[in-house]
Amino acid sequence: MKAKGFDYLSKITAVDYVSYLEAVYILYNTDSKQMEVLRVKLDAQNPEVDSVMELYKAADWYEREMSEMFGIRIAGRQNIKRLLLREWNGSEPPLRKSFVWGKNDYKRLP
Amino acid sequence: MALVRINVGPVHPSTHGVLRLVVDVDGDTVKNVECHIGFLHRGVEKLCETRMYMQNPSYMEKLDYIAPLSWDEMYVSAVEQAMGAEVKQDAQYARMILLEFQRIASHLLWLGTLANDLGQMFTAFMWAFRDRAKVIKLLEDVAGSRMFYVNVRIGGLYMPLPKDFKERSYALVDYLEGALREYPEVLDDNEVFMERTRGVGALSREDAINYGVSGPVLRASGVAEDVRKSQPYYAYGKVNFELPVMRKGDSFDRYRVRYEEMLQSLSIIRQTLALLPDESDVVGQPIKLIGQQAKPDTVITRRELPRGEGIVYMIPEKQRPYRISLRSPTFINLAVLQKLCEDVKFADVFAIMGSLDLVLGEIDR
Repeated sequence: MKAKGFDYLSKITAVDYVSYLEAVYILYNTDSKQMEVLRVKLDAQNPEVDSVMELYKAADWYEREMSEMFGIRIAGRQNIKRLLLREWNGSEPPLRKSFVWGKNDYKRLP
Repeated sequence: MALVRINVGPVHPSTHGVLRLVVDVDGDTVKNVECHIGFLHRGVEKLCETRMYMQNPSYMEKLDYIAPLSWDEMYVSAVEQAMGAEVKQDAQYARMILLEFQRIASHLLWLGTLANDLGQMFTAFMWAFRDRAKVIKLLEDVAGSRMFYVNVRIGGLYMPLPKDFKERSYALVDYLEGALREYPEVLDDNEVFMERTRGVGALSREDAINYGVSGPVLRASGVAEDVRKSQPYYAYGKVNFELPVMRKGDSFDRYRVRYEEMLQSLSIIRQTLALLPDESDVVGQPIKLIGQQAKPDTVITRRELPRGEGIVYMIPEKQRPYRISLRSPTFINLAVLQKLCEDVKFADVFAIMGSLDLVLGEIDR
């Protein structure tokens, strides 16, 4: 995609459809002002997606956020650190549909 | 010499919120900056999945408490798009005027606090707050509250505009045009301010695109990109305005871009006020219509917020959004801080951070 002129990565996010997960990449071409949305279907049990950080530096924080919020493994990045949920010790990734408010027990790290 | 690790924050006056920085310094030269965010994380995206559509705008406003109306409008537009609702013509103009006033109020607050951070104590800060208070007063009289307006409804606004709205807006624009002209006297002519911003934290055009920054930070680096121009919404296609673009991408250019943007916003307001009829019909529809129309699979709404490009990515469902994902511009504008702070002096970290216009509520969501 980058070779086609989509040089700007606007957003990476993910959606949990319960039976499968979907990673969403919103790309933008700063010359022709075109927007393009890529959707990648992922396995619900063992989600894994390749890192795009080599192409777009903007992906750094988005991938960290996606991995902690959805439990998606980012292939090609080692020791991916938590970003927003640094002190969270929950058992389940919070933006998955299986996570329900109040039902999941979690503890703060000491 | 060995690196010394300095902790800044999470509560520090220059971070404008709760942001923790871990700075590695060699003498006075910064070698690495690591940002620790998430202190304000409230799980808004998850929360929105559990609430009905029109219960959510007030959460959106708490994301960016400096420009709440912009987020409110962006979210409601996404809901309108999901429902296929039309926005009344007068309401489109009224929203544009309010959004541009909100942009000015947001930039003024940023300008005052930046000058304060950089040792230009009080003059610019007081002026900025004096002028911002006048803008906020007008918005208060339109919406009924001073800070969190929540006055955008499906198809329009919550209440009719005040009877003297047009006169007061014209008077305020006239006033601001005069008042804004004074700022360069205390900033551009100020040796301290110039020394601390010029050439500090330069971001090249290629890096700006690759790191995905948006809004004034992107335009200061020489990329003429603005959602109001590239994908015009409301009547932005009908009014004439220019995009201020600078070349060097340093802190000073970011200041100039925002300053020029305020003048352009005034010009937009003036043109839009001419389009708005005296007897305007702006009140939106009741909420019960939600869920009756055929819905699209996904909704992507882009808006030019005061801090950059915002996106709402929504999967609509009958009563409540199935998934809502927000692109907050400062989230990614902060990610570039590590790059900007390579080999600068320690005190410049705050000059750079101030010039990025951070709002931590929006970053942490």
